[in-house]
Amino acid sequence: MSTETPQTDAASMLVTGTAPPQNRRRRRRLAPYVFLAPSMLLFVAFLAVPIVYAVYLSLRGFRLTGGGAFGQRREVFVGFANYVSTFTDPEFFAGFTRLAVYGAIAIPLTLGLALLFALLLDLPRAKATRFSRTAIFIPYAVPGVVASLLWGFLYLPSTSPFSYITEQLGWGTIGFLDGTMLFSSVANIAIWSGVGFNMIIIYTSLRGIPSDVYEAARLDGATEWQIARKIKIPLVAPALVLTGIFSLIGTLQLYGEPTTLRPMTSEISQTWVPLMKIYRDAFVRDDLPLAAASSVVLAVGTLLVSLLVLRLVQKRAFGDDS
Amino acid sequence: MRNTKALFPAAVIAAGTLLLSSCSSDGDGDGSADGPITLEYWAWGTSQQPLVDAWNANNPDVQVTRTDAGGGTDSSAKLLTATRAGNAPDLALIEFNTLPAMIVGDVAADITEHTQDAGDAFTESVWGLTSFNGATYGVPQDVGPMALVYNQARFTELGIEVPTTWAEFADAAVAVRAADPDTYLTTFAPGEFGGFAGYAQQAGAEWWSVDGDTWTVGIDSEESLEVADYWQDLIDQDAVLAEPLLTPEWNSKLNDGQILSWPAALWAPGVIYGVAESQAGDWAIAPLPQWEEGNSDVAFQGGSAIAVTTSSEHQEAAAEFALWMNTSDEAAAIQIEAGQYPASIAGQELTLESDPPLLMPQQTDYWEVAAEIAANTIPDISWGPNVNVASSAFQDAVASAITNGTPLRDALVETQQIVVDDMTTTGFDVAEN
Amino acid sequence: MTTTTPTTPMPVDKRPRLQHEMRTTGRRRGRAIPTAILLLGAFYTLLPVAWVIIAASKSRSELFSTFTFAPGTGLWENLQNLFAYGDGQYGQWALNSLFYAGLGSVLSTLISTMAGFALAKYEFPGRQAIFYAILGGVLLPGITLAIPQYLLMSKMGMAGSYWSVLLPTLISPFSIYLARVYAMSSVPTEMMEAARIDGASEARMFVSLVLPMMVPGMVTVFMLQFVGTWNNFLLPYVMLSNERMYPLTVGLYTLLSKGSGEPALYSLAITGAALSIIPLVLLMLFLQRFWRLDLISGGLKG
Repeated sequence: MSTETPQTDAASMLVTGTAPPQNRRRRRRLAPYVFLAPSMLLFVAFLAVPIVYAVYLSLRGFRLTGGGAFGQRREVFVGFANYVSTFTDPEFFAGFTRLAVYGAIAIPLTLGLALLFALLLDLPRAKATRFSRTAIFIPYAVPGVVASLLWGFLYLPSTSPFSYITEQLGWGTIGFLDGTMLFSSVANIAIWSGVGFNMIIIYTSLRGIPSDVYEAARLDGATEWQIARKIKIPLVAPALVLTGIFSLIGTLQLYGEPTTLRPMTSEISQTWVPLMKIYRDAFVRDDLPLAAASSVVLAVGTLLVSLLVLRLVQKRAFGDDS
Repeated sequence: MRNTKALFPAAVIAAGTLLLSSCSSDGDGDGSADGPITLEYWAWGTSQQPLVDAWNANNPDVQVTRTDAGGGTDSSAKLLTATRAGNAPDLALIEFNTLPAMIVGDVAADITEHTQDAGDAFTESVWGLTSFNGATYGVPQDVGPMALVYNQARFTELGIEVPTTWAEFADAAVAVRAADPDTYLTTFAPGEFGGFAGYAQQAGAEWWSVDGDTWTVGIDSEESLEVADYWQDLIDQDAVLAEPLLTPEWNSKLNDGQILSWPAALWAPGVIYGVAESQAGDWAIAPLPQWEEGNSDVAFQGGSAIAVTTSSEHQEAAAEFALWMNTSDEAAAIQIEAGQYPASIAGQELTLESDPPLLMPQQTDYWEVAAEIAANTIPDISWGPNVNVASSAFQDAVASAITNGTPLRDALVETQQIVVDDMTTTGFDVAEN
Repeated sequence: MTTTTPTTPMPVDKRPRLQHEMRTTGRRRGRAIPTAILLLGAFYTLLPVAWVIIAASKSRSELFSTFTFAPGTGLWENLQNLFAYGDGQYGQWALNSLFYAGLGSVLSTLISTMAGFALAKYEFPGRQAIFYAILGGVLLPGITLAIPQYLLMSKMGMAGSYWSVLLPTLISPFSIYLARVYAMSSVPTEMMEAARIDGASEARMFVSLVLPMMVPGMVTVFMLQFVGTWNNFLLPYVMLSNERMYPLTVGLYTLLSKGSGEPALYSLAITGAALSIIPLVLLMLFLQRFWRLDLISGGLKG
């Protein structure tokens, strides 16, 4: 490429007689920076600086100054005290354990159902696909707060239609929000919201496969199941990897669903998942520095987990630059 | 819809002007001293806008803009953050039990000099809720003397007498279960920190107290633990419903007449009416049951005061507004209409001329009963600087005690520990007990 | 063909048929089961939506006293109450949501497209560093930044303003990443070279050549960004204290969490929720045909 540049510049000069080559080359060198300027400015202002500020804040603490029973709480430097209390708080880590249980239910089911629906939509013989596709996709448009409210009503014994049916059958009500059922119930909200979006990603990947790839297999008498397993799934594997990573990040950021359900059940504590504890520390206990320290730990943890997964699935996921 | 359409361009313009004036954070500082001043006031609740409108109509020089920054907990959390960030309003409505946290958080200003004579407008126990170590930090607006709100119709149907002591209340709880297995006398909700504190205070517990510079925390005091044991016993017998309040589930049971009472405060009829309108006429109010027969003391649950913030540049004007809001007859009438029980003596007297709440139109002596309850509230209730920590620790500890079947008294011990640790870390002097 | 489908209701004989179908190419019988599973999926996703619409028709007392799926009689009253609440606050919230999500997404899409294009199509020092910074941004839980963002906004005197919600949503590392993927696959380097030969400046080339080619990708980025901002809760919740500036999510939340002595306004919140879903669903149905979600996974092939 680089050997061609002088030629093209010379050619352009011949044709149009505009700016001299050095000038054009400088502009071309500067162009990417100009295109990137707005996003970099915003990136620094709203991501980089807040991160640095969060790290700074995590080393501070509110302490009584001036003494007295009604002395004032002021911000002072406290070193790593907030990190110590983050790491010695069993609830913070219990939150990660709960996340793991939740993720073990939500991620495979979301991806599994999304893949299943996508494959079925792609079957030439399936009927009512337009309707089903749209219907399954609709929850994506429902905000998390609203989704949790809807499902909350469908879970609580006296308002739940499911419990109504089981009660009519004499089986009693279903404790959706009790004990271990709670994990499935919270996961269900995430699955409900996420299946459609993931399905569309996988489905569009499927549509991108030229149909002659499996026409031949069909002529050879392969069943649809064999085609799906041997041809389609391997071809959409990259899409599966990516949706998987996003589901994983989404899991680590679980917050809205349990928070909305919390007033409805005693089973969900204010520190049920790590982000809820961070929120409680910041806004209920008014301990922003502790919340900042826990945020830093969570963010670093998320980065490490994501990088680990990325490493595992290699460079395929985020592509190489060449 | 008509006016909202007009507001959308207004929003865009507002955004545009903000860009131009993005450096001046607060509009009220730059005006000259002669011009009218504008006070910003954060408050939740249906009574606030009419109150503010009434003030603005009579005070062209001191205009107040009211913002709903969320209910008590949300609003106080935002207030602390906004103060630190330099965005605090001039005035804010604050729940009594979070006022100490607002003082140590440097939100609430000492307004003693602007409120010299105001103390006479309130009973001693009410005024004590906003005064600490001789300084005043707010003007009480509404109070919640605790009372028993009960479904009179169902009580009669099931042959239950209105209990006057907690022992009778426990017997009634068992009797209700026997009479109708789908029905509970009441709820024991893990989230009801304020309610439980009220029962304990009624039994003589002092959850926080100050002596000089030293705090004493009594969340796990003997009186509190006995209250815990009392409820524990009822929970163990399945005589009370151990579930959160005001969930769709609870509301549904309330509508079905399966929850017969709520030992809460004078604001409770309005709340019940809000979720079970159809039950109007069935409910009534009675004094809260007593731990000892013949006693008549009750604590407060809920209630709020208006505080002037330390960041306000017009503290005197702000204090004047707060006093008008909470002591004038005009304001009290608006409050009563919105279902609040006024904090001032004059306001409470005014209630006697009012109609009973919508939930209990048949109870013509409602306000007389209320006045009697209010006259018996305990003086010297004090809250600590970290009630927010206590409340959140209490909720989690009690919820897990209920779901895991561990003793409620342990939950109180755990809460006490968290509260004392938090105060010690912050640097308060906390007495060992 | 059509005659066989209705005669397969018994679950008992489904199994042998399925196995049979796998062994041979039972084209006829294979129709009922996939369709049934898809319809089951649609039923699952539509059930709560149906519920919220039915619940919105219930009056305050019917909400907690009648069977969940029994329609109520209070729809008109609920709508009136909803729009009358707080001087028409609901309408205001809806317009705010539209403002944050609409304007924010348009600007964000443009900014991301420029950045993605630069990262995809230019060689320059610092490119790798910027790309990795953006990847890091994709993985960072946005919620953890809300508080520091608020404190910094306050220092700039912008907390509580429309800007405080709008500006942070303009930067979306994921959108930049998507734009880069799309630019890599849809903007041929040869065409850029040709334009340069014709004497077009870099800016002109971007506007008249690159942007039109990137439209399908931009629609996708716009939609994702729009839905993301529309559904955003924590950022506006932290930033704003004036309820007239709230977006729908925060507004509906405040209806559900009132202060002591005030009941949660369930019937208003439910009616508001039902109504808030409608425009977004319509927008999605409309834009569904334009967007290219395969570009999310498209990057994997590159």
